[in-house]
Amino acid sequence: MLVIDKYAYSNRIVKWSPKIKGLLWLLGIILAFQPIILIKIVVLAVVIWHTLYATKMSVRVYLHWLYAILPFLLLSVIGIVFTMSPKASQIYYPIHLFGSYFGVSKVMLPRGLRLGVQVLTAVVCTYWFALTTPFQQIILMLKAVHMPALMIEETMLMYRFIFIFIEACEQIYRAQKLRLGYRTFRLSIHSAGILVKMLFQQVMTDYQQMVYALDAKLYNGEFKVGEDDE
Amino acid sequence: MIELEHVDFSYEKNHPILKDISAKFGENGSKVVGIIGPNGTGKSTLFLNLVGILKPTSGKILVDNQPINYSKKGLNQLRQKVGIVFQNSDQQIFYSIVKDDVAFALHNLDVPKDEIKQRVNTILRELDISHLKDRPIQYLSGGQKKRVAIAGILVLNSEWLLLDEPTAGLDPDGKRRMVELIKHLIDRGQKVILSSHDIDFMYEVCDYFYILQAGHIVKSGQKETVFDDEKALLKNKLDQPWLVKIHQKLHLPLYANEAELFADKTLQAKLAKLE
Repeated sequence: MLVIDKYAYSNRIVKWSPKIKGLLWLLGIILAFQPIILIKIVVLAVVIWHTLYATKMSVRVYLHWLYAILPFLLLSVIGIVFTMSPKASQIYYPIHLFGSYFGVSKVMLPRGLRLGVQVLTAVVCTYWFALTTPFQQIILMLKAVHMPALMIEETMLMYRFIFIFIEACEQIYRAQKLRLGYRTFRLSIHSAGILVKMLFQQVMTDYQQMVYALDAKLYNGEFKVGEDDE
Repeated sequence: MIELEHVDFSYEKNHPILKDISAKFGENGSKVVGIIGPNGTGKSTLFLNLVGILKPTSGKILVDNQPINYSKKGLNQLRQKVGIVFQNSDQQIFYSIVKDDVAFALHNLDVPKDEIKQRVNTILRELDISHLKDRPIQYLSGGQKKRVAIAGILVLNSEWLLLDEPTAGLDPDGKRRMVELIKHLIDRGQKVILSSHDIDFMYEVCDYFYILQAGHIVKSGQKETVFDDEKALLKNKLDQPWLVKIHQKLHLPLYANEAELFADKTLQAKLAKLE
């Protein structure tokens, strides 16, 4: 079960219009990418505070969600900030290596940090949107910005079936693990292969049954989405 | 009435699933037909034949004296007359929100929006799931999902409702509510065909039975007589309903359901004397 989904349906601002939330998200992204660093940091703090307030989530849980993206962010910043240079003066804490100097570049450090804050702010804004907007409202928003119907249909069906797929995957994985299928690296690879194969087979049989059910409900090739008011 | 005349069905040659099935569902005013049989005897295959998803390899199926018309238009009409709810709810719920899913079949029929709204609300109220209207499907319990799946078909107002293993995987509460729901549907005139191997459940709700064994109908009859022969039932990997057992073995009267037994005042008086 995707816990992130639960917050989206039961937060303090769930009743806000999805259009307003969409616009606020856009505003947040714009502010994250504008040049003044102080504004970015203010936005970052305010949005984190508001996410915690709206979802009644504990700081620990929130940080837990952030861990998912922190490694990528850190790696990018490290890649930008560390450099080799022939002159020791261009580098903080230079280390002499193979005739040149390795360390944190004096020019790149502010840039790297700025980029880090920028990305973090944008991510935090997106989390705010994802954690406070139920899927139904996202669909309404996609409709409001005139996304193609096919894409909206696809999004909807994916959202419906991803839970069933994840659950099936978890069940097989658990059953394998209980019988020591992931004891060593070699076994893990082998078991993972079986898992993928089984999931594929299941998808095929489930598909057949879905076709029957669609038939019974007079499916004519179109899923109407978001016909209703909010 | 749904009539089967010598229906055979097989997915591949020499592997018949249904063999020479003849039956008249809805004959003599029976409103709740039970198809019972152990796992893998072709109950679900029979259902798929009844709604025209599968076509008999030989024999005929007549709905209201008309053979099924397998053209797209004919099948469309058939499915408005005969609705089917499958065993696995997850595979027949396509939308993520309850009310959207219940409305699906009506959207497919191009029913006007206001009417859809009204019919969906009526059905949700009838099945006692109005409070789930805006809920995401993935947070519903098994019994609730089953109700949503049934609502999605009932909304078509079809004359017949086919329920494949409606109690599979339900807890006692879910099962009890399912019995109540089916009884309620029958009271308002819905004709129902059920398939299951849950004998006590079937005895409680159905009035006419067909016993299926390896693709054959081995016995059919009224509720009062069809479970007479315990040995034959056991041989067919089934069992006698417990109310029939106490009737045969303890010589109590044959009760139609549990409530009737516990409401029997003369029995209570007799039992009181024993003490």
